[in-house]
Amino acid sequence: MRLLAGRSIAVRLAASSLFWSSLILLIAGLILSALYRQATERAFDERLLVYANDLAADLVSPGDQDQRGLGSLGDPRFDLPLSGWYWQVGRLDAKPRDIRGSRSLLGNPLPMLADSSPDRRFGDIRKDYAAGPEGRFLRVLERDIDLGEDGRFVVRIAGPADEISEAQRRFIAALVVTFLLLGAALGLSTLFQIRFGLKPLLDLRAAVGSIRRGQSERIRGDYPSDIAPLAEELNLLLEANREILERARTQVGNLAHALKTPLSVIINEATDPTPEFTARVREQAAIMREQMDYYLNRARAAALAGTLGAVTEVGPVLEALARTFGKIYRDKQLALDVSAVEGLRFRGERQDLEEMAGNLVDNACKWADSRVEVRAELDTENGRSILRISVEDDGPGLPAEARVEAMKRGRRLDETKPGSGLGLSIVSELAGIYGGKLELGPSRLGGARAELEVAGDLST
Amino acid sequence: MRLLLVEDDRNLNRQVAAALSDAGYAVDKAFEGEEGQFLGETEPYDAVILDLGLPGIDGVSVLTNWRRAGRKMPVLILTARDRWSDKVQGFDAGADDYLAKPFHMEELLARIRALLRRATGHATSELVSGTVRLDTRSGRVTADGTPVKLTSHEYRLLSYLMHHSGRIVSRGELTEHLYDQDFDRDSNTIEVFVGRLRKKLGVDLIQTVRGLGYLVESGAKADA
Repeated sequence: MRLLAGRSIAVRLAASSLFWSSLILLIAGLILSALYRQATERAFDERLLVYANDLAADLVSPGDQDQRGLGSLGDPRFDLPLSGWYWQVGRLDAKPRDIRGSRSLLGNPLPMLADSSPDRRFGDIRKDYAAGPEGRFLRVLERDIDLGEDGRFVVRIAGPADEISEAQRRFIAALVVTFLLLGAALGLSTLFQIRFGLKPLLDLRAAVGSIRRGQSERIRGDYPSDIAPLAEELNLLLEANREILERARTQVGNLAHALKTPLSVIINEATDPTPEFTARVREQAAIMREQMDYYLNRARAAALAGTLGAVTEVGPVLEALARTFGKIYRDKQLALDVSAVEGLRFRGERQDLEEMAGNLVDNACKWADSRVEVRAELDTENGRSILRISVEDDGPGLPAEARVEAMKRGRRLDETKPGSGLGLSIVSELAGIYGGKLELGPSRLGGARAELEVAGDLST
Repeated sequence: MRLLLVEDDRNLNRQVAAALSDAGYAVDKAFEGEEGQFLGETEPYDAVILDLGLPGIDGVSVLTNWRRAGRKMPVLILTARDRWSDKVQGFDAGADDYLAKPFHMEELLARIRALLRRATGHATSELVSGTVRLDTRSGRVTADGTPVKLTSHEYRLLSYLMHHSGRIVSRGELTEHLYDQDFDRDSNTIEVFVGRLRKKLGVDLIQTVRGLGYLVESGAKADA
């Protein structure tokens, strides 16, 4: 069994089925061939006995004891020299012992099965194998006949033993062929059974896979009563997982809340006694805030890596962001143009899509003169379907050497614009966690273009 | 201008309230959701500063309830929850601005000024009526280009009237918007302050509309 540890259930089932059906077929074969041998022997013996009875009948028929008719038996093989078919009649109570034999014997004696000791039981029929003339193996049948006053005789009939073993061999050959066919049929049916029997397990595996790929949220469908509890447990596990994640997020949010409020108090309390003191406190508080934001986002991102099966509609998210930015930048009179393909979905949490797109649109609005364009579309790359969100503005744009800098942590290209400067590095990190990327380039509108690529699909 | 501040952290509440008072606003304070929601539903505030993580009812629900009840005052959300998803939720619930903690008091004051200005339909931070100019950013008042010193009560009155210039403001409205809820309201004090303002800035600035209230004309006078 250790040999099979770690192998598939199909292999285990196939191996055990192979082992047991071979064993059963082998035992059945042995029993069948033994029974066949017995049956063949019995049939052979019965033929010999018929001849023996004929000889006995000839012996007891009235008339001269040395009659010439004795021994024809109607079978020419008894006349054929050394044919293997022999008979011999002997006397027990007088000499010469052997009075007659078949012509095929050519005068050779047939082996006796019982000695002529007087105390042996008389009247038996004895059967055995013995070596005959020329050392040929014979099946010999011996019968005692008591003719009363005419004397006691032993009739001995022999046939070639290889007829029995020949039949046996033919039978075994046929048996082997039959059993091989049977074994093959059994093997095939076992394979079908395994496939059929294990199908629900394969289905379950596919269901779990589709959850991992974010195509469904839980395991659905009917499963046999054996693995239905497993499917149910998996669903509960997924739920528990989501709950833990939600709790972790809440805790992270609580931590932010708990730290940022006192930090606000510290910043605003530090207006005395000297301007240097105020500046120093504010600088340090700003560093604390950036560190907090950075690590809170990291913690969130780590919790997120275990997310299963979340799917978010892109259109509503972008529209909600457009409403929000319309309010935030209402004094700038921006034309904020959002277009998303109908049914486009992001494979991940809504909050994270909002965080990524929100930061990109915020940057674009911050820098734009009058126009911001947001487009979301589906693309296929190396067989993966990709959600591509591009955000463009007509602002001053970003020089090539600044693009790499912009994605570094805490880097703010223009200190005069508000914001922690973490925006792009957070987007880049989140995109990385979702197996995607963020790229910056020039926009045809004249400003900067940010392109976000993450896993997505179209709902059908 | 009367503001409502809903913030459960006692230290921050005290600090923000003090800064707002110094800037010339009347401030009502609430420390939890229910109290804040009640005040916002019953009192006429010019703007609200609302924390989201409140004991009792959370800030977003408070805001949603106000908007559902038809309360339209500008609301600034002040919260530590600064993810875009939080902001989207806040704005969709009816917020007018959103400020993340930790913040600088100047930033908060600037946002409040902008909210009040926008709510009363002014494009710039400088309010003008005749020869009188009021810079909401610095809190400075000039008449004919000469700086005029005002007490905080005088400033509050002038600021409210100039924010609502071109419209008759009743005495009742003034008492409701100039004093916080704990103030002992006596409408006679309004008349006293109007008198003082006329003395400092000229009698033409604030006109009395008999039986209705006071009026400050909007815009610079052509012949000024």
